[in-house]
Amino acid sequence: MKGLIIKDFLYLKNTWKNLIVIFIGSLLISIALGNYLLVICALPLILLTSTINTFQTDEFFNTDSYTLSFPLSRKQIITARFLYTFIMIIVAFFVGLVIYYLIHFIIRPNHNGLNTDMLKYLIMMEGTSLLVDSIFYPIIYKVGCEKSRLVLLSIVMLLLGLGSILSVYINVFNKDFIDFVAIVNFIQKNGVMVLGILVTVATIISYILSNIFYNKRDF
Amino acid sequence: MNIEVNNLNKKFDEFALKDITIKLPKGKIVGLIGENGAGKTTLIKCILNVMHKDSGKVTLFGENYKDSLKEDIGVVFDDSFMNETFTIMDLNLIMKHTFKKWDSRLFFKYIKTFKLPKNKEIKKLSTGMKKKIEIATCIARHPKVLILDEPTSGLDPVMRSEVLDMFEDFVSNKENSILLSTHITSDLEHIADDVIFISNGELIFDKPLKEIKESYIILELEKDEFKNFNKKEIIRYKENRLDYQILINKKNMKKSYDKYIKNITTLDDIMLLYIRGKQA
Repeated sequence: MKGLIIKDFLYLKNTWKNLIVIFIGSLLISIALGNYLLVICALPLILLTSTINTFQTDEFFNTDSYTLSFPLSRKQIITARFLYTFIMIIVAFFVGLVIYYLIHFIIRPNHNGLNTDMLKYLIMMEGTSLLVDSIFYPIIYKVGCEKSRLVLLSIVMLLLGLGSILSVYINVFNKDFIDFVAIVNFIQKNGVMVLGILVTVATIISYILSNIFYNKRDF
Repeated sequence: MNIEVNNLNKKFDEFALKDITIKLPKGKIVGLIGENGAGKTTLIKCILNVMHKDSGKVTLFGENYKDSLKEDIGVVFDDSFMNETFTIMDLNLIMKHTFKKWDSRLFFKYIKTFKLPKNKEIKKLSTGMKKKIEIATCIARHPKVLILDEPTSGLDPVMRSEVLDMFEDFVSNKENSILLSTHITSDLEHIADDVIFISNGELIFDKPLKEIKESYIILELEKDEFKNFNKKEIIRYKENRLDYQILINKKNMKKSYDKYIKNITTLDDIMLLYIRGKQA
């Protein structure tokens, strides 16, 4: 299992040049804007999206057949991918944290340019990323990377459609049975906690579904 | 017995592996032949649980299939390996954390023998070099069994001969064995002990190579000669533009048939007549 996690990390070695370019670009933009949120979040965001790229690369090189010939169960293969994702979440957070403190000590911006709320946003971005992964993973394990894009697009369009219909219904019939202001206030106050619970539940369901789907797949 | 497959079935929409029963004995090299799409790779993938079988039983080293038993199986697939942006050094790192018996020294010994660059991305290497890496990667696990799908494709004759010698060395301890799927049947004529022939998902035969060579012979007959030939003796025949090729059992061979022998009967010829020929 450790070998597979290393395999996934080795994908990153080809992206380090991109990471440097993104870091420099986002740093320059942040300096120009006088707000350093972008540079704190940009690199971690790229690292977080790399977890999805590992699926794509595996599919491109047809690596699944090969890894399934290893003395590992399908469950272990799934677990390795989830562990890699968790490790990447931690790595991304520390990268963000290091950038935060480097800017704090080297550039010394004022409170508007850099504040601890930005670390909260970093955590929320990580949570959101894990949430997206939790949706992506079982779909990829079920239909593969290529088809998963279509499936996810369909889901997003369906949700948007339903949301639009709901908003029209609320407007036309003036049904304010949902107190949106209260919801927004609640999220602002307890955002990290809510996201934490949501992400935990989504990850557990995602892991279970991924196992079910991957167990049935032929390569 | 290192591997036993009993009554294995796997159905797809337009193709099915039907009731395949084969054995891979200790100390033997068993060739797996058949036309493209015959089911060779599907069979290999079903043995390794890369594909799920619909029914049947796979026994590895005398035990019912378990993922952990694949520790003792080295695999080369025709169409699947690691990410080609990896280098040989990367592969070593991954493998030593995956296989308990991974032998880095042996791996790099083969890399040196094959004259492969350690720090170059695999995708920048030739097809033959990639094959060599795959072979080195599967042997450095110290497996008891090698399952090889087209392992010598892309290799030049000299390297193919070296690799075949390696395979013979591998089974020389009488414990190890190799299941070797290949289109280059001349390789099998040199090293295989047994040959499994699959066509259109069905097992045609699983016999010792010696027995195959002693059993079958191909005769070439003029059209008139074919008309008068005892059809009961013909296993398969193929009509060419000017003549007929017929496959018969050697035990039916008569002195008068000697004139019809034009070439030495090869595995390729037998396979071709089974696949493209007709029953008389």
